[in-house]
Amino acid sequence: MFVNMAFNLIKQSGGIAIKKAISSSPSKGLFTAAVRSSKETRGLEKVYEKNEPVLLETDNVIGKTPLMAVQNYIEVADKVDISSLTGVPEEHVKSRLVKISKATKNVMQSGTDNTHNWVMEFDNRERWENPLMGWTSTGDPLSNMKIEFIERADAINFCEKNGWKWYLEAEHKTKPRPKSYAINFSWNKRTRASTK
Amino acid sequence: MFRTTLQRTAPSIRLVVTSGQSRPNSNVPPSKLEVFIDDKKVHVDPGTTVLQAAALVGVEIPRFCYHERLAVAGNCRMCLVEVERSPKPVAACAMPVMNGWKIKTNSELTRKAREGVMEFLLMNHPLDCPICDQGGECDLQDQSMAFGSDRSRFVDIDFSGKRAVEDKDIGPLVKTVMTRCIHCTRCIRFASEVAGVDDLGTTGRGSDMQVGTYIEKMFLSELSGNVIDLCPVGALTSKPYSFTARPWETRKTDSVDVLDALGSNIVVSTRAGDVMRILPRLNEDINEEWLSDKSRFSYDGLKRQRLITPLVKDNKGNLVPVEWEDALVTTSRALINANGNIVGVSGGLSDAESMIALKDLLNRLGSEELYTEEPFPISGSGTDLRSSYLLNSSIAGLEQADLVLLIGTNPRYEAPLLNTRIRKAYVHNDLEIALLGSKVDLSYDYEYLGESPATLKDLAEKRHAFFSKLSKAKRPVIILGAQQFERQDGAVLLAQAQQLSQELSKNVDKGWKILNVLQQVAGQVAALDLGYKPNLRLSAPKVLYLLGADNEAILKNKPAGTTVIYQGHHGDAGAAIADIVLPGAAYTEKQATYVNTEGRAQQTLMAVQPPGMARSDWKIIRAISEFVGVKLPYDTLNEVRDRLTDVCPSMTRYGDLEQANFLAQASDLAKDLSFKSVSTPLNVKQIALEDFYMTDSISRSSPTMAKCIQAVRKQKESKYYESRI
Repeated sequence: MFVNMAFNLIKQSGGIAIKKAISSSPSKGLFTAAVRSSKETRGLEKVYEKNEPVLLETDNVIGKTPLMAVQNYIEVADKVDISSLTGVPEEHVKSRLVKISKATKNVMQSGTDNTHNWVMEFDNRERWENPLMGWTSTGDPLSNMKIEFIERADAINFCEKNGWKWYLEAEHKTKPRPKSYAINFSWNKRTRASTK
Repeated sequence: MFRTTLQRTAPSIRLVVTSGQSRPNSNVPPSKLEVFIDDKKVHVDPGTTVLQAAALVGVEIPRFCYHERLAVAGNCRMCLVEVERSPKPVAACAMPVMNGWKIKTNSELTRKAREGVMEFLLMNHPLDCPICDQGGECDLQDQSMAFGSDRSRFVDIDFSGKRAVEDKDIGPLVKTVMTRCIHCTRCIRFASEVAGVDDLGTTGRGSDMQVGTYIEKMFLSELSGNVIDLCPVGALTSKPYSFTARPWETRKTDSVDVLDALGSNIVVSTRAGDVMRILPRLNEDINEEWLSDKSRFSYDGLKRQRLITPLVKDNKGNLVPVEWEDALVTTSRALINANGNIVGVSGGLSDAESMIALKDLLNRLGSEELYTEEPFPISGSGTDLRSSYLLNSSIAGLEQADLVLLIGTNPRYEAPLLNTRIRKAYVHNDLEIALLGSKVDLSYDYEYLGESPATLKDLAEKRHAFFSKLSKAKRPVIILGAQQFERQDGAVLLAQAQQLSQELSKNVDKGWKILNVLQQVAGQVAALDLGYKPNLRLSAPKVLYLLGADNEAILKNKPAGTTVIYQGHHGDAGAAIADIVLPGAAYTEKQATYVNTEGRAQQTLMAVQPPGMARSDWKIIRAISEFVGVKLPYDTLNEVRDRLTDVCPSMTRYGDLEQANFLAQASDLAKDLSFKSVSTPLNVKQIALEDFYMTDSISRSSPTMAKCIQAVRKQKESKYYESRI
């Protein structure tokens, strides 16, 4: 057995998050993963009940595919929620709302370089001007977290995995208009340029 | 089987079929052209320009004068690219591609051409980037870094020949530093094509060329702020924003504008707790990438006249600041004592969340009396059928129209971006427009049908001369201004418009909707969707709960003995008559739902915190409900939105257009009304530009908007001013 699995569960009691048991492994296979409501892994329900770290059978977590084991990579078929492992305070998991949208072109400029990715952003919280230097301060640790994804699904998966509520804003596509230099000079159309 | 019998029984059919088959005509151009952009093959439609073809494969050709939404000018030469076997580089923005062209956007010749153009442009451009407001979002800055030369040949250290141009004064919104102008003529093209105000132009030639108004005058347009966005350099910048912030130090929050009923998409730039500026955000279905001046510049009104603390009237009748708890206790006492005799009035800037919360609260207290400030006829189908109060053909759909009849409205000032759509169709699709109502300058030509409402009756009864033109149109549109419902006989006008559109619907394209109502305020559609009743008849309730209701016309006869509770963000007409004032959040300070005049739900996002002790509106009502003892069953925004979804499912499908189609039924129900005659002329409130700037509590408290009105009035006194009406 070359993998030691352990669960890092965060138990919220009396406002203090208790972190227990960090996985350890002599070899390079250090894994942490949480599996919820898995039909196959009945042993896990007990883990949740006890809220305690427990050594698990590797087969409970790793799928049957040997390839995954080779790549040191676990893929769990069910919905993964790593919010209990990330160390993000519970308040910033449960009460935050993520907006996933495709950045639109800045109307002040003609470049389109930053508009090809899907961006996830958190809801805005209070900012104030710091009296010392006049810089902007915030108490929100996620205020600068603006992550870009190539695919929309990646952004959604990332939010799901981290337990954030998200919503998607539809992409606004521009339809290319036929352009013609000649219509500036057409004698019977309203497109004729009046001023130059 | 079928074919053989048919051929046997009617051999002539076969003949017809074969003769109908035409041989491929060699003169017809191929449907798609094949071109190569940097050796990448792309198939494009004939007439596509080189620049557009390159964009299809993700190659962006630098440009200054070319703009997607304006005519091609081809004068900056920045988009020069090499085409194989062409002796000279071609201007990509103006040149349509030919079959088999091999375009090289990164070849030695292309790069040399760009470098040369950059050198010429920079030769006469001042090196004042550190004090230029465009710095950080300047196309010239970026493109000189990317495509310019790495060394200078500029040796004129005595500054003897560098061009300098006098600045122009074109109004209180647009600041000009004309030395920075690179003569791309985007502003000129915007003014003449989109705004329809031919005020800007060029004078002189060569290095003496100047962009300006020829004689000094204000750029009299409700869309003037857009030339700031269009200007690729810092020649035209925002006057209220000047020297206040840099683009890299502001945070951008995507939001929605609420100062007219269109719900234009905006980006709110903030720094610390301040809104620094508002820019449009691209949305093809609503505002394309334009924004009206009121939406863009009235943000300074968000800092003035604000209600920042709860206020309660003391024994002497003065409003004194109190803590939230005191205000909530006083409010709940008033609501409990009213014993259900409460009237709720929702104003034009109210969001759907607060409206549903207020409705739930008042319903729980035994009152069904919830009204919108804006009127709407309740006879006929009233507000039961959604199609009666929506802009049914949608804003983008207006581009497909071939005839527009405007009744009692001036879209230019009521909804400037709807007017640009009409103007776009006028310019590009030869749209015809007719106006029934006050004679106004719409920025395009129209057929004037007078201001007598009898004309509408004649049209509905097919007696008017214009009816034949209407009936021939395949995609006609009737836009009825919602302000006409303030009249006593507004219901008759709506019924007649409904009857007319039913009449026309017989020979229009399938699925085409004719009747549109142009709402005046952002909150009206959501209020009617949620079941608020229009047409407030103010009797003497025990408690009058004003949710952002600031309409002086309604509030001026405040009934005696009524406790007035005002919840809102500005100290305007509503707060002036209130006994209890609860400070709410403005649209930049809350995540809230608004439904625009075409029935599209959109949400604003919180860019800054509400000032002082002000709070998000639905939370205030939720807190009151707990004090009153009828706790509302939602604690978070998502739970309020679940409730919204229960009442009106479309209201949380953000960005989607939720259309309605019961136009025929609505017309049937209002049939008896359409026979009535109306005589008072159809007047509109916003006739001239100075009527446009201040229409709600935010823009009324904006100093910039006040300056605009002053400047327009001053310009009207000028001897060079000529009215276009």
